[in-house]
Amino acid sequence: MNISKKIVVLGYFGVGKTSLIRRFVENSFSNDYKVSIGVHIVKKTVQVSTDDTVSLILWDLEGTDDIASVRESYLLGTHGIIYVFDVSRPSTFQSIEKDLEALAKKVPGVPTQVVGNKIDLVASEEVDATLTEKGISFDYLTSAKTGEKVNELFEHLAKILALDAERIKGKLQ
Amino acid sequence: MLKELRENYNRDKFQFILTDLTGRVVQSDQTLLSVEENVAIGEAHPFFLSIPEIMDAGRETATFHCVQLGTPMARLTADIEIHRKKDGFLIVIEDLTQHYRSYQKMAQTRNESIIDSELIVLKNHELQERERFKNEFIQNFSHELRNPLTNIIALTNILQRTDLSEEQLGILAVLKDSTSNLKLMLEDILSIAMIAKGKLALNPSVFNFPHFIEFLKLTYTTRAKEKGLAFSVTTDEKIPEYLEGDRIRLLQVLTNLCDNAVKYTKEGTISLHVALNQKRANTASLRFSVKDTGPGIPPESLGTILESFEQLGQTEGVGLGLAIVKGLLDLMGSTIKIESEVGRGSHFYFDLKLQFPLREPIRPAARKHLPPTKAKAPAKDTQKYRVLLVEDNEQVQTSLFKSLIEPGNFFIDVVSDGALVMQEVVNSKYDIILMDVNLPNITGDQLTKAIRAFPFKDVKKIPIIGITANSYKAQIKAYKKAGMNAVITKPFEQNELLKTMQRLLK
Repeated sequence: MNISKKIVVLGYFGVGKTSLIRRFVENSFSNDYKVSIGVHIVKKTVQVSTDDTVSLILWDLEGTDDIASVRESYLLGTHGIIYVFDVSRPSTFQSIEKDLEALAKKVPGVPTQVVGNKIDLVASEEVDATLTEKGISFDYLTSAKTGEKVNELFEHLAKILALDAERIKGKLQ
Repeated sequence: MLKELRENYNRDKFQFILTDLTGRVVQSDQTLLSVEENVAIGEAHPFFLSIPEIMDAGRETATFHCVQLGTPMARLTADIEIHRKKDGFLIVIEDLTQHYRSYQKMAQTRNESIIDSELIVLKNHELQERERFKNEFIQNFSHELRNPLTNIIALTNILQRTDLSEEQLGILAVLKDSTSNLKLMLEDILSIAMIAKGKLALNPSVFNFPHFIEFLKLTYTTRAKEKGLAFSVTTDEKIPEYLEGDRIRLLQVLTNLCDNAVKYTKEGTISLHVALNQKRANTASLRFSVKDTGPGIPPESLGTILESFEQLGQTEGVGLGLAIVKGLLDLMGSTIKIESEVGRGSHFYFDLKLQFPLREPIRPAARKHLPPTKAKAPAKDTQKYRVLLVEDNEQVQTSLFKSLIEPGNFFIDVVSDGALVMQEVVNSKYDIILMDVNLPNITGDQLTKAIRAFPFKDVKKIPIIGITANSYKAQIKAYKKAGMNAVITKPFEQNELLKTMQRLLK
């Protein structure tokens, strides 16, 4: 089975969305911050089992300080969401719950991965303490700079989407 | 069909693509993207791979703004419209690269500035946290030092009054000198912690300025002489005789500056000069300056020299002097300024506005005629008193016990458990209570409140002296409010305790 799935990567500006995608697709990283505007789309195919692959069509959305203002059209036909925040900047994760609620209304039932990026900038105990204190749950803590947990994140989402596709296929048969 | 569409648009800025419902290209321009006919549109760019899902559920049109379709070599930012047609989709791509370039520049500037200011706030917060931690540590550390220091001072005083050989007296003198230095350092540490926590309040009063300066002159002429240095003091004659300000804190600032000058200068002169900048109504603006011929401060150290625990080279002390000067002057609304040249010396100066009374204050007449007297020991009292000492620290118990045994007119009972105090107070008749404040389970001020609330007059009226290492004014005020008649802070001299006890026992 070879399927294509649209993944939207979003979050506040400067959290490292483009860097995460670049690390995953090109295995490279740049320290320079270049603002992404609009949407940039790339594709990478992931082998999820011996016979199955998932082509992830990654939509790297322009960062915003208000997720509710993300253009509706960018979310059309989305199969998965990666919500990225920066563990070193509390302003990027202070509204996670509200943002996820807004997204769930716009694209209901879409699998979402919450990712704290830039863990190379903060001591791990400090990250744990801050996130626990603020009651923030996440799926992955990553570093686009070092590559930590980046492939795991995308591959995990690819597997979730492959399983969903299997389930739907099973139901249809 | 494409020909008709193109007639209405600028040829170079648009590209029209027709696909069938599966996304296979039926017809296309080559204006912006290279698109082959009979090939899946997704081959041209991954954006188009999602068209079937985007146009799912019978959607007629979809518009996408600011889509990056370019390659690292050729930039293309476009708006894309997808229209559902009878047999497929019409895709219209409009090249808006120039338009979005200016938007990108704007966003870059805006985001960078927001991120930078966020990082500055975070950095400041981190620095404040470190400062808070440091001050907490200093406070706790100095608190812990006070108990053993109290014991050392008390026991040294007792030891001094025993029969000692010449050699032992010499050793004791060094011990007393070291204890006194340690006490001064501890006071410095506490001052800096109190300044940093904003708990130090100024206590202004009218003082005699020539006497104030004379004191400094006497102190530092002697100290400078010991190091083979000269110390000169000059003041402006027009400075009013009486000034109003916190004399103790001003003295602390000037002694720290003079101490530093003596400490770092190996030869030459140290001069203290006070000039009158301006005199207006009942306010005088004075410039205090301390100059030395010491080694000077390297330019790279000028920025940090006023921070806590900063020292130039290996010297005695804890490096708090200038930080205290800075903190105290901040509190007084002034700023320390430094001019220094390596190898030539340093000049520390500050301007201070002080009020002066329009009339000379009335001086106590009696004091004028009294000959100078040495500090007197408390008058001998032959009456016997019963003392309850509430103290859990064994070392403090021992030193207090010895201090009180020596005069010979106190019978002392010691209780180390706060819970037993009430029982003792009711069952035995005490003349005075010495109450440690930091007791386990129940605090000394809570016990005092309980005693003061007792229904029997002979119990509720027992004088209570609080003994504590907490020296903040607010804390002492709270202990007195709880009912303590007096509070003595550690470390204290035996005389101070005995005098306070005698005053309350009268």
